[in-house]
Amino acid sequence: MSGPSDAARGAQATARSAVARTAQRRIALPNGIWGVALFAAGEATVFGALTASYFYLRFRATVWPPPGITAPDVLLPLALTGALVATTVPIFRAARAQRTRMAWGMIALAVLVQGGYLAVQVILFKRDLADFSPKDTSYGSIYFTLLAIHHAHVLLGILLEVSVLGRLLGGLTTYRVVAVRVVALYWYFVNAAAIVVVLTQVSPSL
Amino acid sequence: MATATTPAAQARVARLERIWKEPPGLVGWLTTTDHKRIGILYLFASLALFGAGGVEALLVRTQLAAPDQHVLGPEAYNQVFTMHGVTMIFLFVIPISTGAFGNYLLPLMIGARDMAFPRMNALSFWIFASSGVFMYAGLALGHGPDAGWFDYVPLASKQYSPDSGIDFYALGLIFNGIATTATAINFIVTIFKMRAPGMSLNRMPLFCYAFLAVSFALVFALPVLTLALVFLELDRRLGFHFYDAAQGGDPLLWQHLFWIFGHPEVYIIILPAFGIATSIIPTFVRRRMVAFPLVALAEILVAFIGFGVWVHHMFAVGLPTVTTIYFAAASLIIVIPSAIQLFAWITTIITGQPSFQTPLLWIIGFIIYFIIGGLTGIMFAAIPFDQQVTDTYFVVAHFHFVIFGAAVFPILGGLYYWFPKVTGRMYHERWGKASFWITFVGTFVTFFPMHILGLLGMPRRIYTYHRGLGWGTLNLMETIGSYFLALGLLIVAVNLGVSAFRGRRVGGDPWGGDTLEWATTSPPPAYNYAVIPTVSSAYAMWDTDDRATDAANLDRGERVLEQGHRTPASTALDADWDEVLDMPSGSWAPLLLALALAGVFVMLLLGHWVIACGFGALVGLVLLAWHSAEPQAG
Repeated sequence: MSGPSDAARGAQATARSAVARTAQRRIALPNGIWGVALFAAGEATVFGALTASYFYLRFRATVWPPPGITAPDVLLPLALTGALVATTVPIFRAARAQRTRMAWGMIALAVLVQGGYLAVQVILFKRDLADFSPKDTSYGSIYFTLLAIHHAHVLLGILLEVSVLGRLLGGLTTYRVVAVRVVALYWYFVNAAAIVVVLTQVSPSL
Repeated sequence: MATATTPAAQARVARLERIWKEPPGLVGWLTTTDHKRIGILYLFASLALFGAGGVEALLVRTQLAAPDQHVLGPEAYNQVFTMHGVTMIFLFVIPISTGAFGNYLLPLMIGARDMAFPRMNALSFWIFASSGVFMYAGLALGHGPDAGWFDYVPLASKQYSPDSGIDFYALGLIFNGIATTATAINFIVTIFKMRAPGMSLNRMPLFCYAFLAVSFALVFALPVLTLALVFLELDRRLGFHFYDAAQGGDPLLWQHLFWIFGHPEVYIIILPAFGIATSIIPTFVRRRMVAFPLVALAEILVAFIGFGVWVHHMFAVGLPTVTTIYFAAASLIIVIPSAIQLFAWITTIITGQPSFQTPLLWIIGFIIYFIIGGLTGIMFAAIPFDQQVTDTYFVVAHFHFVIFGAAVFPILGGLYYWFPKVTGRMYHERWGKASFWITFVGTFVTFFPMHILGLLGMPRRIYTYHRGLGWGTLNLMETIGSYFLALGLLIVAVNLGVSAFRGRRVGGDPWGGDTLEWATTSPPPAYNYAVIPTVSSAYAMWDTDDRATDAANLDRGERVLEQGHRTPASTALDADWDEVLDMPSGSWAPLLLALALAGVFVMLLLGHWVIACGFGALVGLVLLAWHSAEPQAG
C-alpha cells in the first residue's frame, strides 16, 4: 500500500542527494540481485538436468563405469571442492564490506583460491582425458560434459570477480555494492552446484 | 492521460520529452532501449517469420491436396514441415506474444517507464532476430532441418542425418534460447519490481499474471532444452554417445529432456493468449472479470503443473505402465485450472453487456477452439486411445486447434485491440469482422477433417499418400480451408496496414479500456506516463478518481521524476515506493553483442572452434564496453 509517507519519499527522491539517501534506505532487493537470482535458477536447472541425465544413463547400464575405466578418485575431488566451497566465506565478507579495501581484499583472496582450484581441475581433466575418452562410452560423455560445464561456471565467476576488482579500484559506491552482491550471489550458487557435481562425479566409488 | 494545464506542468512534460528523446531515424531503432520500440521490432520480425511459416504450411497443404502428388519431393517436404513447426513455435508465437505484446504492453500496464533491464531487452531482440536469420539461412542453403520440430534421435543423429540441417536446428535453438531466457528474466524482475507504487500484487492486471507464469516456465524449461541440444551437438560433431544405444547411451534420454521442456512449452505458447483474453473481455463486456483471484492462481497453476506431465507425449514408446498411469493422471489435473479460466471467461461474457466488436469476436473464436482442442487433449490422457492415434493426423488436429485456434486467435484479436494504442488510428471494423469470420471458418475447415483422417489412420509427416486409401476428399477439403484461412490472415494484414496510414484518428482510450495503457496518449510518449499513475485496483482505468489524482499530481510536480531518465522501483509484494532508478538509455552494445554472439554460433556450425573462441572474446569486450558507464549516484 502506498501511504502518505511513501508519497513523501517519492517526492524527496527527485534530487540527486535524496536519490542516494533513498537507495540507502532501500527495503527491497535491487533489480540486479533479482536478475542474478533468476539466472542462477535457470543454471541450477541445467545442473539438475545434467545430474538427472547422469543417473538416467547410470541406471540403464549394467556396469558403471564401463569395464576398462577405473572408478573415479574420491579424496582429491572432495578436497578440491572443499577449498572451493570455503571461498564462500571471503565472498560473504566482501558482500558485507563497508570499505573498499576490505571488499577488494576478500574478492582477491577468493579469486586466488578459485583460480588455483580451476588450474588443478584442468590438470585433472586432462589426465582423465588421457585415461579414457568421451567418444568411447556414454559414461565418458556425461562425465566430461558434467565437469566441463561446471568448470565453465567457475571460469565465468572468476571473470566476473576480476571485472568487479577492476571496477573497485575506483572505490566502493552504492552502485558497486550491488555489483559485489550480485557476484557473491552467483558464487553461492556455483559453490552449491559444485557439491552436487562432485558427489555425482565420485558416486561410482562411494 | 493527465494533460498539462499549468505552465509549470507543461515545462515538466517538455523536460521529460527532452530527456527521454531517442536519436531519430535508423540509429534510433538500432540503439533503442525503449520497450515500445523493441516491441514493435519484435512484432515486425515475428510477423515476417509468421509469413514464412505460413507459406510453408500452404506448401504442405498443396502437396497433400490430392494423392500421389509431387509438388515437393520427400526431402524438401521434410524440411518444409520441420521449419513450419520450428518457425511457428520458436520464431513466431513465443516472440510475438512475449517479445511484441509483452514488451509493448507490460510496462504500460504496470505504470512503469521501461523494463527492469532495458539494454538486456534490446539484446534479446537482436539475438532473436539473428537466430531467425541463422535458422532460415540453413533452409535457404538447402540444409534445413528435416527431423520434425521435436527432432527425435536416432533419426537426428549423425548416422541417419549426416546433413548439417540438424546442426542449424540445434545451434539455432540454443542461440534463440538465450534471447528468450533473457526476456523471461526481464519480465519477472519488471513485474515484481517496477510496478507503479501502489499497485500491490492483488491490483495487478491478469495479463501480467499470465506473463509472470510464462516467464517462470521459460526460466525453468529452456535450460533443459539447451542441455538436450548441447548433448545432441556433442554426439553429432564430436562423436559423444549420449543418445547412442550401442555405446551405453539412450535415445529415450532425448525424448525425456525434450518433453520436460516441450510440455511446459505448450503452456508457454497458450498462457499469453489467456492473458490477452482477460484483457479484451472486460473492456468489451463492460464488467470486471469473474473470479479474479482464481483466474490469477489458475494461470500460475497451469504453468506449474505443466512441468509434471511430459511423459504423456511418450505413451507409445513402451515405458512401464505405472509411469504412464501417473502421467495420465497428472495430465487430467491440468483440466482443473484450465476449466476455471474457461468458466470465468464465459461467465464474464454472459453476465456482462457484450459488444461484439472485432477483438471480442476473436476471443469468442478462441474460446470455442480452446474447448475443441481441450476436449481432444483430454482424450490423450486415455492411454490406449493415445497409443492408437499417436503419430496420426488426430494429433495434428488437436494441437492445431490449441496452437492456432486457441493461441493465435487472441494474438490476432490483440493486434486489433491494441492497434489504436500503438498507431493512434482505428482499424476498419467491417473488414475486421470479415477477417475474423473468414479465418474462423477457414480454421475449422482446415483442421477439423484431420480428426477423421487421423482416426482413419493417416500418419503425420508423410509427404504423400496412395489413391486407394480414400483420404483424398478430406485432404482436398483441408487444403481449400487452408487457403481460405490464409485469405483471412491476409485481410487482417491489409486492414491493419492500410489503417495505420488512413484509419480514423483516435484519442488515448477509444474502447473505455480497463487497464493503465489506455491512460496515456496513443501512441504513448517515450516516457509512457508524465505522472507515475496512482493505482487502487486491477482495473485502474475505471478508477476515475485516480486518474484525476494523476492530473493534480502533474500540476503539483509529484510522481513526475523529470530530473533524469528515471522510473521508480517498488517493493515486490506491496509495491511501496522503494527507490528511484536511473535508467540506461540508447546503446550500441546490445546489437554488437548479438552480432558477436552470432559469430560464435556461425563458427561453431562451420567447425572453426578457434575462431568461435575469438568471437567469444569479442563478446567479452563488448560486455566490458556495455558496463563502462555507471550511474554516479552515491
